[in-house]
Amino acid sequence: MKINSYVRIIVALISLILLSGCWDIKEIDKRNFPLIIGISKENKEEYKVSLHIPTSEKGGKMSRTVSQKGTNVSSILGQLRTNIEDAVYYKQVRLIIIQNKLANDKEDLSELIKFLMKSKELPSIALIAITEENIEKMFSNINGKHFSHTTSIIDYFYKGADWAPEISTTRIWEVYRSLFSYTKDIAIPVVNSGKDTILNYEGAAILKNGKITEKINPSENQFVILFKNHNANGIIENLGNASIMVTNSSLKIKPSMLTSEPIVSSNLSLKIDILERKEGVTNDQIQSKLEKQFKKQFYDMLDKAQKNKTDIFGFGQHFRNQIPFHELKNWREEYYPNLKVNFQVHVIIE
Amino acid sequence: MQKLVQEIKSIFANHDDFFIQEEHFKQTAIFLIGFNTMIDFTHSNLYIRQMAKMSASVNELFTNLSDQLDVDLEQIIKAILDGKLVLLSECNRNALLVPISRKLSRSIDEPKNESIIQGPLNAFGEDIDINLGMIRKWLGTERLCHCSHQIGQLTKRRISMLYIKGKAPIALIEKVDRLLKQIESDIVTIDDLNKHFGQHKFNPISYLFSTEIPIQAIDSLKKNRVVLFLDNYPCALVFPHLFLDMLTTVNDRNFPIGLSLLIRALRGLGALATLILPALYVALTSVNPDVLKIDLALFISKSREGIPLTPIVETLTMVVLVDLIIEAILRLPKSVGPTITMVGGIILGQAMVDAKLVSNLLVIVVTAMLIANSSVVGVQNSLYIRALKYPILILASVYGILGLFTGLTFVCIYLASLTSCDIAYMTFRIEGKGDTI
Repeated sequence: MKINSYVRIIVALISLILLSGCWDIKEIDKRNFPLIIGISKENKEEYKVSLHIPTSEKGGKMSRTVSQKGTNVSSILGQLRTNIEDAVYYKQVRLIIIQNKLANDKEDLSELIKFLMKSKELPSIALIAITEENIEKMFSNINGKHFSHTTSIIDYFYKGADWAPEISTTRIWEVYRSLFSYTKDIAIPVVNSGKDTILNYEGAAILKNGKITEKINPSENQFVILFKNHNANGIIENLGNASIMVTNSSLKIKPSMLTSEPIVSSNLSLKIDILERKEGVTNDQIQSKLEKQFKKQFYDMLDKAQKNKTDIFGFGQHFRNQIPFHELKNWREEYYPNLKVNFQVHVIIE
Repeated sequence: MQKLVQEIKSIFANHDDFFIQEEHFKQTAIFLIGFNTMIDFTHSNLYIRQMAKMSASVNELFTNLSDQLDVDLEQIIKAILDGKLVLLSECNRNALLVPISRKLSRSIDEPKNESIIQGPLNAFGEDIDINLGMIRKWLGTERLCHCSHQIGQLTKRRISMLYIKGKAPIALIEKVDRLLKQIESDIVTIDDLNKHFGQHKFNPISYLFSTEIPIQAIDSLKKNRVVLFLDNYPCALVFPHLFLDMLTTVNDRNFPIGLSLLIRALRGLGALATLILPALYVALTSVNPDVLKIDLALFISKSREGIPLTPIVETLTMVVLVDLIIEAILRLPKSVGPTITMVGGIILGQAMVDAKLVSNLLVIVVTAMLIANSSVVGVQNSLYIRALKYPILILASVYGILGLFTGLTFVCIYLASLTSCDIAYMTFRIEGKGDTI
């Protein structure tokens, strides 16, 4: 009886190994991890998907590009998996670059975003970016740079807020959320391949319900990020006769509703460091000039955005609990054009 | 009288080292009986002659030499076996004499298997009386109790049990005492003793923690535990063996508290690293590479480039080889050991990597594991931790990270389920029965 039970345990253990499916596990060196997926549209029907796959060869090229054409993205990803030698795991994809032509088409873009979000293979935390160039050319430009390494394009986007306050990092799930949001629009970074650097940051495209409404330049985008993160550390501003860097900042937003007219009072306090100044320029002059410049930039952008009915600063988010839900879908059309913003800037020189 | 001598002679007929020497004292024949392998006969004889000169009669000589006079045959035989010198006289008197014996046990030495930093260097030896003496000397209290048992079928072996009265729980003392009394077979190894204490056949964790160092044994006594001594065994056996013995030694407390906590935390880390590291390597390279940061994944992928073995085979090979080396070094004579280690190290470290049989990273992982494993206290503890890493490794190769944690959980459950005499292995301290004397 006792021997019998040992035999049973042994049989159970052996079947554990056989049944678990561990014989067809792919080792790490037999897997391919595409880091970037580029998606473009060649003509009306045909999509083209390019994968940027790091290789582990010593010396030689650090990564390679694989492209495939087809009628929809999911089938192309499947075909790529068939054609590439090793197993392809899309789980590590960090960046999805969408070509301009495809991004400008509202329906195609929303369809693509929905697919990217719902696909179980692709991580929904991957960053998204738009380019105006040919994607294959862009990838080959990255490969051609002798200083680039396998993950340099990821490092480009993950510099951290204090080092590159202009770059917005937008994830797929954020774009997906903005497709259905009544009160918030989202900025997607636009990049092109650079001459001396792997990428060149061009600004951001503002997406409203899946449609690109306007493009803003990098210095405008840092305002958008300021309102998103409530933090403006690292911004360098040229004031003509001096230049400063923001070392610490805080932003307070207080929404209030006066008979269907939304009012936002926002206080931005900045601690700045003076990097350089011309002779005879006093601290007071710098302070007042900076305050004026920030206010002007902000109100210019707000005017433009209100005309486009695009809530790039996401002010609508603050009124979600003050407007009845069935009215919320009218935010952009009825409430937002009437929005008054009282923007105050306080500058402290350290 | 001759009859008794003949009888003893016939009992020891098969012993070539047995002697019966006839001496004459005041016209009376005296027989000196014993083993010359255990007794320094020349010196003992000289001593008896000197005593004889000072004594007036045979009777007086016998009383001068010994206080064990006129015993029966059975006791005489036992005394001979114990290495005593037996004197028989013609007129039916006998005496058991403690002779000048040959030196058969070593003196107090330094510990061989446990290294001590900043602490007393005395270690236990084979002689049980010396061991007990050391404890008595260092723990001079009347509350230290000692009870001795003779155990065994073929040979009687002495087992002494020590405890501090008023500290060790009475239930524990009584239970150990009862268990020792129940033993009928011979005790040769610690494992025999473990079996009698109720250890399961496949349980890798001993119920007794053996230590060579007297202060360690004394510290255990003070912490309400029982210490056993076996004659001809150069260690104190602390009962029950607790998990914390793996992480702490009394010598840690020669350092400031912060440092001693650091040392203990490092030992815990070492035990954990031994269990986890090889399994983690297998899980991350074969089952779950997607949990890695991409830079790390590419680095690992690069280090495994071109290696034909699968991670589990590769890891098992290395881990088994390393365990073999440890075992071999223990067995090898001290003069050959370092050479073999060096050659083995070079071949395993350099040549296997160059030949692309195992990856660089695995060599680092295995070395780290091996070194980490050596940080725990006690050879038997490090051995069982080394054994427990195998099931975790197998589980990790099948289920990846999930398997690793399942394995670790099972190890925790197993360790937590162990008890000896109703005291859990994972107990931090044993409750005394209060400080009453």
